[in-house]
Amino acid sequence: MSLLDIRHVNISYKMPEKTVYAVQDVSMSIEEQDSVGIVGVSGSGKSTLAMGILRLLPENIIDVSGEALLNGRDIFKMDEKELRNVRWTEMSVVFQKSMNALSPVHRIGTQMEDIYHTHYPNEPKEKVRNRIYDLLHLVNLSDRVYSSYPHELSGGMMQRVSIALSLIFQPKLLILDEATTALDVVTQTQILNEIMDLEKNMKIARIMITHDMSVVSSTCKKVVVMYAGRVMEQGSVMDVLVSPRHPYTQGLLNSFPSFTGEKKNLRGIKGNLPDMSIYPKGCVFADRCPFAKPHCHEELPPLKQIGDGWDVACFLTEEEIAHE
Amino acid sequence: MKINLKRIYISVTIGTITGHVLFMLSDAGRGKRMKKFVLKRLGTGALVVLFSVLFNFVIIRLAPGDPTRLLAGKDNPNPELIAGLRARYGLDKPILTQFWIYIKQLMHGDFGYSYVSSSTVWDLIKTRIGPTLMVSLTGAILAVLIGTLLGVYAARKKGEKIDIFLCSISYLFDSTPSFWLGLMMILLFSSILKWFPTSGMYNLRANYTGFAHTADVLKHLFLPVTTLTLINIPYYFRIARSSVLQTMSEDFIMTLRATGMSERKIFNKYVMRNAIIPTITVFGITLAYIITGVAMIEIVFAWPGMGRLMLDSITKRDYPTLSGIYLLLSISVAVMMIVVDVVYAWVDPRIRY
Amino acid sequence: MAKSRTKNRIHAIWHTIQGNSQLKVGLILLAVLLFVAIFGPMLAPYNPNRLYSETFSAPGGKFFLGTDNLGHDIWSQILYGASTSLEIGVIAAVISAVIGIAVGGIAGFYGGLADRILNEIMNMFLMLPTFFLILLIIATFGSSMMNVMIVIGLTSWVGNARLMRAQAISIKERTYIKSSIAIGEDRFSILVRHVLPNGIFPIIANTTMNISGAILTEAGLSFLGLGDPNVISWGQIIANGKSYLPRCWWICTFPGIATIFTVLTFFLLGEGLNRVLSPKMDANK
Repeated sequence: MSLLDIRHVNISYKMPEKTVYAVQDVSMSIEEQDSVGIVGVSGSGKSTLAMGILRLLPENIIDVSGEALLNGRDIFKMDEKELRNVRWTEMSVVFQKSMNALSPVHRIGTQMEDIYHTHYPNEPKEKVRNRIYDLLHLVNLSDRVYSSYPHELSGGMMQRVSIALSLIFQPKLLILDEATTALDVVTQTQILNEIMDLEKNMKIARIMITHDMSVVSSTCKKVVVMYAGRVMEQGSVMDVLVSPRHPYTQGLLNSFPSFTGEKKNLRGIKGNLPDMSIYPKGCVFADRCPFAKPHCHEELPPLKQIGDGWDVACFLTEEEIAHE
Repeated sequence: MKINLKRIYISVTIGTITGHVLFMLSDAGRGKRMKKFVLKRLGTGALVVLFSVLFNFVIIRLAPGDPTRLLAGKDNPNPELIAGLRARYGLDKPILTQFWIYIKQLMHGDFGYSYVSSSTVWDLIKTRIGPTLMVSLTGAILAVLIGTLLGVYAARKKGEKIDIFLCSISYLFDSTPSFWLGLMMILLFSSILKWFPTSGMYNLRANYTGFAHTADVLKHLFLPVTTLTLINIPYYFRIARSSVLQTMSEDFIMTLRATGMSERKIFNKYVMRNAIIPTITVFGITLAYIITGVAMIEIVFAWPGMGRLMLDSITKRDYPTLSGIYLLLSISVAVMMIVVDVVYAWVDPRIRY
Repeated sequence: MAKSRTKNRIHAIWHTIQGNSQLKVGLILLAVLLFVAIFGPMLAPYNPNRLYSETFSAPGGKFFLGTDNLGHDIWSQILYGASTSLEIGVIAAVISAVIGIAVGGIAGFYGGLADRILNEIMNMFLMLPTFFLILLIIATFGSSMMNVMIVIGLTSWVGNARLMRAQAISIKERTYIKSSIAIGEDRFSILVRHVLPNGIFPIIANTTMNISGAILTEAGLSFLGLGDPNVISWGQIIANGKSYLPRCWWICTFPGIATIFTVLTFFLLGEGLNRVLSPKMDANK
């Protein structure tokens, strides 16, 4: 049984004038100790997917279908109580804007204690405090942080606090939503390395949501490429990033300069994101795809398996494989 | 008797400022910036007081008409009075000397004599402050409590009928002139329902003492306070509501929710603590204007407070009294502003640095 | 091409208004108000200054809202008074806006010493007891309409100044401003031609709400007898009716309702404009 099994999840924002189909028919599975990178540009639906799975989106304007099975139990069907029990103990999040991740008028230690008490209300004070100090040491922060306010720390330090916080109950699944995007490259590398060490020790599976392909290639084993709310290609990093099959993935990789290897011209992908309030008739990428055939505009390509754990949603790739 | 009160007032003012300065300077862990902050605020406060002293001085001499005549307050002052005034205020001396005399007088707490009533300005003022504070403090506290509670409630029920209802009522009362509301209250509760007396602070004819007197005053107090409260509730309502809504959409609330914390705890501890900050600062600023804010209502209800005194002095051109009132107001506003800044820094850790 | 663009703009504006209930209601009320202010004198059944023999007549019958102690028709007085309130309210708010924009713009754009000095001046002005000051100045310099407008403008400009300053500070960081300065364009003309027009939007909303405040202040002043005696003002009517309150309630009540109506209009307009011009995540409605 997978740790997290996402099956045909659709998430739409219902607004008075229109509906925005932010996430369309997304499926993926994450095993224990996996490290998965979900890559896509802004608006590709990756954050919505993560927030939706955690049920952090405002329920009254959201339409969700599909299943998200955490250890076999569907998150979408859980009641308030069950959901609250699962939150943080089995899966936790580190958000992007960590400067505002905690209340600015309460001390960090106080908040971490409160969070601890949420799930273990009867723990003695001393024990909780020591646990928090341990966590802070784990992410290379001093005891002083405990009695500090968020604004007294730098961005990098706050990010570490957020990470420490996410590990407080040693969840099996950690979701990092653009967690290092706001940091400078040096800090980013440090923190990523620290996270990977912690994962090994604590046996945590990680989902990294980012638009930065280089982060995925250096820290993840699997990658999911999303565009306009749909999955274009997913598989192991060695497969997808070395020899991408989907035109979109190819386009993405072409727009990153290579440190080694031959010098070639950087090429971006022509065109813009499609209007997300119209449910697509054909392939979402067809308008911008250099290889698009008329067929691509008419029908939605399904996600087809083309290798071991490697799925691609493209008619052309199917044909290629068929020809081989 | 009067000298003692003067001294008490001056020492209380100085004491308050010193106390706050010491409090701020001594708080461990606050850096140099805090001290600089404090000194800057004091400096501004001092400038304000200086400005009002100057303004006072200038306006009498700027006003159309002969200052002597204005100071005499009468149409045909006799020559002795004029001579006496000239000597006292040094009106025949160069302007700088006049100013110096003026400052010296202020230092002694001598605000001069009123012409309308034959007492010192200070005596006049001191009997009015009490009644004014009675109405304004009560009204302000009630307004902030009720307004904030309603605002928080409306925020939680945002979009529902009750929220729309409360917001509409808030707009309505916000657009209502305070004096008109007072008149309508008198109309309804005094004239028609006869529940409360029409005006004044106590029944002059009956000679109540002790408990009966207190009850009488309370009866007279009810309508003015209610009017003041109703006028001010919308302000606090809007601030509370908007602040709560703003806080609830902040990132950290989402973090806390993701940790499984109960909505109740998130709201009561984290939302409220953050959302209450604007209310506190605003309340402090309101207190700064506590003496003038009730002027209209005092006038409508013939309440013997500072507002009435202000208006009377102005219409009767009682310049010494006006001077005194203005100075008093400036000082108390300046002091309150400093207090507000200090409280704000205490309540919101972000601005201490 | 231009025609369809204008059409699109109108469509967009209409859509915004529909979605913004404050703006909607405010505009409707404003329409009524303007109508009354402009056509009031023609609509008034009687000359508001003329005295009729039926003093103290109750509302209804010959005089729609009754008459006062001297025989003035209240309804006509209210209609004529509308233009007074509007005039004073708008002009006072505009004066306040002009001063605020000037001070705030200079402080924010030039920064440095000018900013520090102007900031201190603003703080000082905030500390002044405005009500008292207004009373004092009016009493000293006379109670003409012009004085009232000026003094209200002089005491309420700080809010606008702060807004403008914040705007100027953020706008001057924009690239096109920086490049204009780098090219060597005169800083003052940049301020006037680029910074001010772009930063003016929150001021517009704030000024609209200042109109409400100005009208209330003016009503208070004329209630106290410090308004211009030569024009009809609602506060004045209320002041007059105060002495006859228990019996002849209509003299006080109706001008008050008219004031509420007027103030509410600009208040809603201002709030609506605020939502449109500076959208935030918070309070709606």
